[in-house]
Amino acid sequence: MPFPPRPVDATLHGVVDYSAGAFLLTAFPKLAGIEGTRSARQVRISAAVHAGYSTLTKYPLGIVKAIPFQAHLALDAVGAIALAATPFVTGQWTKGPRQWLPHVGLALFELSSLAITDPTGRGDYHGDVEAVRSANTEDPHRKIYNGAPAVTPATATND
Amino acid sequence: MRANVWSGRNTVQVENVPDPKILNDRDAIVKISSTAICGSDLHLYDGYIPTMRKGDILGHEFMGEIVETGRGVSNLSVGDRVVVPFPIACGNCWACRHELYSVCENSNPNAGIAEKFFGHPTAGIFGYSHITGGYAGGQAEYARVPYADVGPIKIEDDLTDEQVLFLSDIFPTGFMGAELCEITGGEVIAVFGAGPVGQFAIASAIMLGAERVIAIDQYDYRLQMALNRAGATDAINFAEDPDVVEQLKELTGGRGPDAVIDAVGMEAAHGHGALHAVERVKQATRSESDRGHALRDAILACRPAGIVSVMGVYGGLMDKFPTGAFMNKGLTHKSGQCHVQRYTKRLYEHIRNGDIDPSFVVTHRLGLDNAPDGFETFKHKQDECVKVVLKP
Repeated sequence: MPFPPRPVDATLHGVVDYSAGAFLLTAFPKLAGIEGTRSARQVRISAAVHAGYSTLTKYPLGIVKAIPFQAHLALDAVGAIALAATPFVTGQWTKGPRQWLPHVGLALFELSSLAITDPTGRGDYHGDVEAVRSANTEDPHRKIYNGAPAVTPATATND
Repeated sequence: MRANVWSGRNTVQVENVPDPKILNDRDAIVKISSTAICGSDLHLYDGYIPTMRKGDILGHEFMGEIVETGRGVSNLSVGDRVVVPFPIACGNCWACRHELYSVCENSNPNAGIAEKFFGHPTAGIFGYSHITGGYAGGQAEYARVPYADVGPIKIEDDLTDEQVLFLSDIFPTGFMGAELCEITGGEVIAVFGAGPVGQFAIASAIMLGAERVIAIDQYDYRLQMALNRAGATDAINFAEDPDVVEQLKELTGGRGPDAVIDAVGMEAAHGHGALHAVERVKQATRSESDRGHALRDAILACRPAGIVSVMGVYGGLMDKFPTGAFMNKGLTHKSGQCHVQRYTKRLYEHIRNGDIDPSFVVTHRLGLDNAPDGFETFKHKQDECVKVVLKP
């Protein structure tokens, strides 16, 4: 068991990506008391970008499987740090905790989620294909492409 | 003994476990010579069939040599070579007397659980969760076979294991799928899924006299096997063009196939982008157990008044079942876990006659200790994998 334990596989990570994205785009700003503020716009943009590259990720819930899962995780980390830094770069943090606390809280959630996600994506292939090839006493390619038809037409009847 | 056990989602392990023992007079113990990983084992592996417990021995396709029999087993002797059907059937109940072995009324000791899921209990199955009885499976060195006087078929000639092993499940399952299509000669049959059951459904439709059999899959190597070995006449690769319904219409002059076989089941990979993503999320969050892309397309593609034959395994509930198309087109829906015992002798004769050589489907022959990598390779379609046979 690795330390820290990483029980979140690529599928579960994808579920969190989409469900958190939907939550941040819709209910979160109001619940956090930032609806209508610059902070709400920043959180929504961050959520939309996150959901956007999730759809392009090469994991079970990706739609166009273009971005490797590990690159997705790297984007998650960069995005979390950027979101946390935004209020301090823009100076909005001086207007009160609601203008920076959601950003930092969400970044910490994201980084915690990354810490327990298995970067190999478990659920994707984690077998040893070379071991299978060397142990296999059959030749898949020959069986598929070179063999004669294995069946004779019209030799059975419906009872 | 060594056995391949379920250890959690996406994890199997070969472990030392206690040897099986005779528990009832009608039991036999089989020393397993060949066993296989079934596509439906992947539903257990992926965690979509409930009631699995860590340590459960997997495997419902196996054969071997009888090493011990209970006092009530008079038709088998120590040393007999047998293939064991995956449904466990008593042979005496109403269902068994009507050759409906996969719904045997006596072989599932967890009938109450099954009844909650399905409305009625179904038969016990080797190595296939506690809904189906919690029986130890055959991916092991030995297995206990209940009702051994009913199920196992004796192999009395020198056919190889791989020529007869699939009488345990996938050959009869594919054959039943084709038989349910009521083929009398000249039909067009579409088969969703060119995995092992799909290959045998294709081959069986050809054996029964279908004029055209259209194989549908997203892996070209599987479609090549269907065309080169199983007898398919046409192939549709939905990775290249996902509109399978339209392609089937084009291949059939706009009418659609006379019958469609779903050899895919609850983890259909086929789907159009957004819908597929939604279904993956619903299945991952356990708000829907069955992804239904293949079955939906099967219903939409089948010609009016045609037959939809479902042999792929479904576990519970599926959303967006196209009831409108199903009803208004007047389709007939037939399905079921295969009543294997009904078919074994008949299909064994076809093998002996040389009408079919079922070993064509085997692409991987591994030792039992390679089972974990075999599962991964099969699940992820690595190394042109179609069927894995394990040798204990």
